[in-house]
Amino acid sequence: MDIIEIEHLKKYYGTVKAVDDISFSVREGEFFAFLGINGAGKSTTISVLCGKEPCTEGKVRIRGMEVGERLGEAKEALGVVFQDSVLDKSLSVYDNLRLRAALYGITGKAFRRRFEELNALFGLSFARRAVGKLSGGQRRRVDIARALIHDPRILILDEPTTGLDPRTRQTIWAIVHGLRKTRRMTVFLTTHYMEEAADADRVAFIDDGKILACDTPINLKEKYTGDFITLYHVREEELKNAGLAYRRTGEDAFRIEVESTRRATELILAHPALFRDYEIAKGKMDDVFLAVTGKTLGFEGKEEL
Amino acid sequence: MKHIQLRSLIARDLKLFFRDKGVFFPSLISPLILLFLFIAFLGNVYRDSIRSVLEGFSVSDAFVESVAAGWLLSSLLAVCAVTVSFTANTVMVQDRVGGQLDDFTVSPVSSATVSLAYFLSAFLATAIVCFVALGAGMIYIAVAGWHLSAADVFLTIADTLLLIFFGTAFSSLVCHFIRSQGGVTAVQATVSAAYGFLCGAYMPLNNLTPWLKNLLMFLPGTYGTGLLHLHLMGGAIGASAAEGVPSAVAEGLMSGFDCTLDFFGNAVPVWASYLVLALSGLLFLTLYVVLRLLRGKIRPKRRG
Repeated sequence: MDIIEIEHLKKYYGTVKAVDDISFSVREGEFFAFLGINGAGKSTTISVLCGKEPCTEGKVRIRGMEVGERLGEAKEALGVVFQDSVLDKSLSVYDNLRLRAALYGITGKAFRRRFEELNALFGLSFARRAVGKLSGGQRRRVDIARALIHDPRILILDEPTTGLDPRTRQTIWAIVHGLRKTRRMTVFLTTHYMEEAADADRVAFIDDGKILACDTPINLKEKYTGDFITLYHVREEELKNAGLAYRRTGEDAFRIEVESTRRATELILAHPALFRDYEIAKGKMDDVFLAVTGKTLGFEGKEEL
Repeated sequence: MKHIQLRSLIARDLKLFFRDKGVFFPSLISPLILLFLFIAFLGNVYRDSIRSVLEGFSVSDAFVESVAAGWLLSSLLAVCAVTVSFTANTVMVQDRVGGQLDDFTVSPVSSATVSLAYFLSAFLATAIVCFVALGAGMIYIAVAGWHLSAADVFLTIADTLLLIFFGTAFSSLVCHFIRSQGGVTAVQATVSAAYGFLCGAYMPLNNLTPWLKNLLMFLPGTYGTGLLHLHLMGGAIGASAAEGVPSAVAEGLMSGFDCTLDFFGNAVPVWASYLVLALSGLLFLTLYVVLRLLRGKIRPKRRG
């Protein structure tokens, strides 16, 4: 069953087409990743999805409810983690969660019970401390706890791990994946990080407000990338002489893209002298992104290839 | 569920205001500092001004002191009711800058409830600060010479509440357009510096040139200041007969210190002052609520 349905969604700001006629759906319990550089239209799509902004054209349905018509009910199904923390820094974690719970009508005993559940899940031993005094990782955990305070069916994560250290990112993902397993929660993620998107059930690539590709990571890799051979300890002249197309990927490393593993085997047999030290790998999500958009995420679109 | 949301949001906004030491303490202390500065630096100016009106009559120092005290406290309250409300509305601007408003937008709480909570919490925060100032000012008046009747005290409280309502509505409307912390600080500084002169708190309107006086009479805050002057000074001036001051001179003192106002030469009745203040407050509040409800439909900023 599709829990989120977006049909021909357009969001224009004057002449700027932030989102330009996109359609996709997310199934219940699915981990759906939305990939794109800054300004691609990810956050605008989320804004419309959450009812923060009205769309210019198109339809957005959450659990079958049209957002434009039954916004209040649709919002009950959503928990949103924003790019930046939206907690009140001078208030304690407990007070922050209590306020947000009250906005959903959860007060008194019901709140205390929910708080204990979240405490067990997120380890909120620092709940009496002011949010402004927490570390970045602790704050992010509270952000997610805040989004889950009303036990929503859909968790929207808008670049949730940007600026966090690898260990904290790992912790956050362990919690999110745990929620998916235990609660069969639908997770809608926007991210810059390819390795996070690679774990998703399906990935959509958005650029200039349009969805360029949407499929499972395996299918995307098969469709848009081939295999990659990385050769070590060879001289550039040797590759030139062999007539191979390559890219330098390090001081002493070159990468050759081939359309299949079979073609890689043929190359090894044809040029055994070159293959002294090498590895063969399937394409990564970065390669898919590059193939689909012509841009690299690392440079935020400034360096188009 | 709406009342739970409203109550929680008001409690949260007030907590943020009182927890933010950089906002609450200056708000609380500034009226007290202003009261001290009024007494220390302007007290003599007003005393001399009162004596100059009563030249030829031998009035006691205690009488002059009680009239001056009434003027000082009424001026202080008139200014604070508006300037403190701007500080209290900082929460609204901070929520916009910090993204908390986005958080409220994606929750089931309505824009109207959030707006009303900002208004009511700013009103309550301003009232708390102003009534602390009123309490301190009443002590000063009691020391200087108490001539207030129970009705004067009651009406002073009513005037203060009405002026806080007006100030909160006005500041809510202004703060609705502010998009940065720097912006709200600049507006607060400007209002703090200018409002006292514009509402006739720092200097009686009758000391100004006629065209300027008439111009300031178009500003609703002036009527609130006039009401406070009337109810905090009227009792003391009314007691001037006991000092041997003729009623015509007492009336001159009343109009000279803005206890009675005139608009292009026509006397403004007290009910008209209440009406101007209440209606302008309602107008600002209505504009604020309408603009906030329309907010979602006008968003020029493009997001990523």
